[in-house]
Order: sequence, then structure tokens, then C-alpha cells
Amino acid sequence: MIKTRLLNFYLKSPLILASGILGLTASSMKRVIEFGAGAVTSKSFNKDWRTGHKNPSIVPFEHGMLNAVGLSNPGLDEMIKEIQLYKEECDTPIIASIFGRSIEEFGEVTRRTCEAEPDMIEVNISCPNVHSEFGQPFGDSCPDTAKIVQIVKEHAGNIPVAIKLGPHGPGIGVIAKVCEENGADAITAINTVGPGMLIDIDVQRPVLSNLTGGISGPAILPVAVKSVYEVYKNVKIPIIGTGGVTKPSDAIQMILAGSTAIGVGTAVYYEGIEVFRKLNEGIEKYLLEKGYKSIEQIRGAAHE
Amino acid sequence: MKTYPIRKIHEHGPGVKSFYFDKDFEIRAGEFVNVWSPGVDEKPYSVSAVIDDMIEVSVKAYGPFSKDLMIKKIGDRLGLRGSFGHGFTLHDNALLIGGGIGIAPLRILAQELTAKGYRFVNLLGAAVAYEIIFASDFEKAGKTYFTTDDGSKGKKGLVTDDLTEIIENEKIEYIYAAGPEIMFVKVKEIIDPLNIPYEFCMERYMKCGIGICGQCCLDGSGIRLCVEGPVLKKEDIAQITELGMKHRDASGRRV
Repeated sequence: MIKTRLLNFYLKSPLILASGILGLTASSMKRVIEFGAGAVTSKSFNKDWRTGHKNPSIVPFEHGMLNAVGLSNPGLDEMIKEIQLYKEECDTPIIASIFGRSIEEFGEVTRRTCEAEPDMIEVNISCPNVHSEFGQPFGDSCPDTAKIVQIVKEHAGNIPVAIKLGPHGPGIGVIAKVCEENGADAITAINTVGPGMLIDIDVQRPVLSNLTGGISGPAILPVAVKSVYEVYKNVKIPIIGTGGVTKPSDAIQMILAGSTAIGVGTAVYYEGIEVFRKLNEGIEKYLLEKGYKSIEQIRGAAHE
Repeated sequence: MKTYPIRKIHEHGPGVKSFYFDKDFEIRAGEFVNVWSPGVDEKPYSVSAVIDDMIEVSVKAYGPFSKDLMIKKIGDRLGLRGSFGHGFTLHDNALLIGGGIGIAPLRILAQELTAKGYRFVNLLGAAVAYEIIFASDFEKAGKTYFTTDDGSKGKKGLVTDDLTEIIENEKIEYIYAAGPEIMFVKVKEIIDPLNIPYEFCMERYMKCGIGICGQCCLDGSGIRLCVEGPVLKKEDIAQITELGMKHRDASGRRV
């Protein structure tokens, strides 16, 4: 009943493990599938390995989580191996999340990532916690976004490409339109929000080693729902609605706003990996109670 | 994040110290805390004991973070997050096998076994005598065998040398081990054929400590060591395909 079509493949559940959560290894991603995810997204990777920021890099607070992991990853070669290993052992779709420090690097990483034959490539142009190194995210600029979408599409062959956007910049609807016009196949909305900061009042300094970080979790759900709503109004390509989804009603809001699939990440902290099963059951119960036969019947219904 | 002043410091020997903090949360043997030194870094450490409503964290100077901890003084504040993870289950007639500073979680385990009235035997090894911290406490708690690489305490050699004999002579029914992974590999080889259930307290690079980043997931089962571990049972250990092999660093590379 909650089977969903995303572009040219079918998902047994609309829930997708969001990038940055449990996505470093094949074993870990396979385990998430066993708990009910319809697809997984790898940790974002680029050409060379990175250790990311020092700890504390992930800090929960009352309404969510603040993180500045700093795009740590073992690099392209290692991640390609993990994706291949995953695909050898698991039929459920996998999305490779990639980034680059330069526009050219996005192209090169895409070209190499195709070797692993992921079901989709997600392009992270909106990480808000690497300002000191990368400057303003590419996704805040229409011209940069256009160039990245073009270069990624040029190298991706027939593998579909989703662009992961943040809620900042010139407006997510505008940027999503730029992505669509330049050939993007889908939009992932949204990345973490911010950056934000938390200060320890005893030692009187910021808690994160990076000082600032992106906000995720329940606190950002309204921003995510509104962003998906905006994107849905502006483009025809499917949306992977991500940001703060913890309870079934959150996921349903995302669908009503226009999401085809739903990213789940920080909720693993609140509910355990079981969150995927709980959300699946909750979405199914809602559809049954309201007399719907499929998710498609309520997708974007909040716009009517 | 909550910070706590250091109440007491005990120096065991060169570069090995225990720090004491007010106990503000429940903690069981095998669970761990993330220790934050503001401006430096944050790392996971086993709690080694709960004494007089204080928790004890034992540290060996190893990298930049633990070396920075060595210069901390009473009253300095450190952040503690926890307790995290899944600890030991308690069983009678047990053998506690420890290697080096890795024996820290066995000390709190010994406390809990003692409180239950369970019998246990200790088998502790290290490179040199002073690295066997809390030796006299272990001796007071139960019969204790020592080994050192240089023979400076107990028998010269490794904990695995007389393991089979000790298990037999002491009528051991359950085994706990904490220490370096290479020790687990050897211990496992010896005890697997004996059909004795066991638990190992394992280590991996941990980033978040709360089960979301995936950095400490074990190859084979995908188990998150910071949530489902760090103490794993025999059945879970059997599924690990990377035991004693290279494991992942802060970037996620196998090194």
C-alpha cells in the first residue's frame, strides 16, 4: 500500500535513509533496510578522504540536534567499494550522496561514482557547516547551482540525479527551478538548517568544536514542510522531502506538501532504527483510516 | 552538554591517571561516557568504577586528547555525556580477562559482580607491572592471576598462555574480556571450542556516541558499537567480519 514510484524505480516504502546517518558502510545500510527503509543514501563523499571537524560534532538539544561533522568521509575509492558491496548483497535502491570542493570536482566525483552503479546520485550543494573551508554553499547561488547540475548531468549517464538543497539562499523554489531547468531529475529538500550555535554556560564557550553547525530534528520540521511546499509549486520533478520527520504525522505532512519520498535521519536518535517500521505502519494506518489506496492519492493535496 | 569539576585525581604510574566526578546519572558496567575537554576534543571512555557517589574514568596518555587530560587539575571542568551504550550482563563463576588500560571496564564489572554475591576470577595482563591499574583492588575482590611481558608482575608472558588451564581449574562458566583487539582474537580462538558463553568490551572510533553517524558500525552485521555495544555477546561477535583486522578512523577509512 505504501509502495511508491520514484522516477524509474519502485520503493517498497517511501522512507529513505537520509545522507549522513548510518551511511558509511554496506553492513550498516543493509541493516537499515531490514528495519523498513525503502532506500538508503550513503554518507556524502568527495574525491579525497576527510576527517571532518573534531568533536563535539553532534550535539542533541531539547528540540533537535546541532551537527558540524564537517563532511568527514573515506573518499571516493572507499565509498565506491562500499556501494558495490551493498549492491552485491541488497536489491533495495541506494543513492550515492556526493559533494565537491569545486565545480570541477562535482563532475569528477560523479563520473567515478557511476562505476558503482548507484540507483541515483544525490548532489549535496547545501552543507551549512563547512563555511570556514568552502565559503558560502554553492546551493545559495543560482549560477553555481546551474553549473553543478550541468556538470553532474553531463557525467551521470543514465543514472538519475537529485540535488539536495537548503532552505537558505535566494529561495528554495527559485533554486529548485534552476535545478529542473538544467536537467536535475529530482530535488532533495532540505539539508540541515542554519548554521546555529549552542553555548555551554559553565565553560562559557560554544559546544561544537566548529562553533556552528546545521540544525536537524523536530525543530526544523516546519521549515522542511514549507520548503517542500515551495518546491512542489515551482517544479514538476519529484521531491525527497527531508527534515525533522520523526512521527508518522510528520511524514504525512511531507507527502501532503508534495514529497514523493521522505528522508529520515535524525529520528534514528529519538526512536532508534525501528523508526522506519513505526513510520511505515503509521503512514499505512492513516491511508487506511482515510480510505486511500496509495500515497499518490494524497501527494501535494495541501495545495488543492 | 553538562560539565563537571574534577573532584579527585589518582596517578597510577607514568601517563596513567584516574579522574573522579560527581555521579549525576546512572551507569552500569561496560557503558561509557563522552568526555569533552573544551577547546580540545571529545572522546569516549569506559567508566571504570562508581565509588562514594563519584564516577571514575581511567585514562592512559596516548594521543593529543589524553595527553591534554594528563595536565588537568582538581576543579577543572570537563563535559560528560552519557551514559551511552550497552554494558555487561552479570553471571556467576566468571573469568575476567583484561589487557593493559583496557581492563578499566572490568573494574566496575567486578564491583557489580561482588554486589550480586557472584564468584569470579581475574586474569590480568599488561606490558609492565605499573600498567595493571587497580591490581590490589582486583586481588581483594577475587582470585587474581597476573601476566606481564617483562615478568615484572605475575607470570612472564600473555594472558592467553595459561587460559585453558585456568578455565578448567577454576570451573569457569562465563567469560568477560576487555583490552586490545588482538587479545580478543587469541582468547576467542581458545574459548570458542570450549562452548563457554562470553562477552567482550570492544572499541572503535566513535564520533557521535548516540547511534546516528555510523562511524562505529561493525562490518558483517552493521551493529552500532556505541548503541548495541560496546559490550557484545558471543553471538554478535561471531558475525563481525573485521575482528582483529584494520578498522575505521575519523574519516571512515580502514587503517
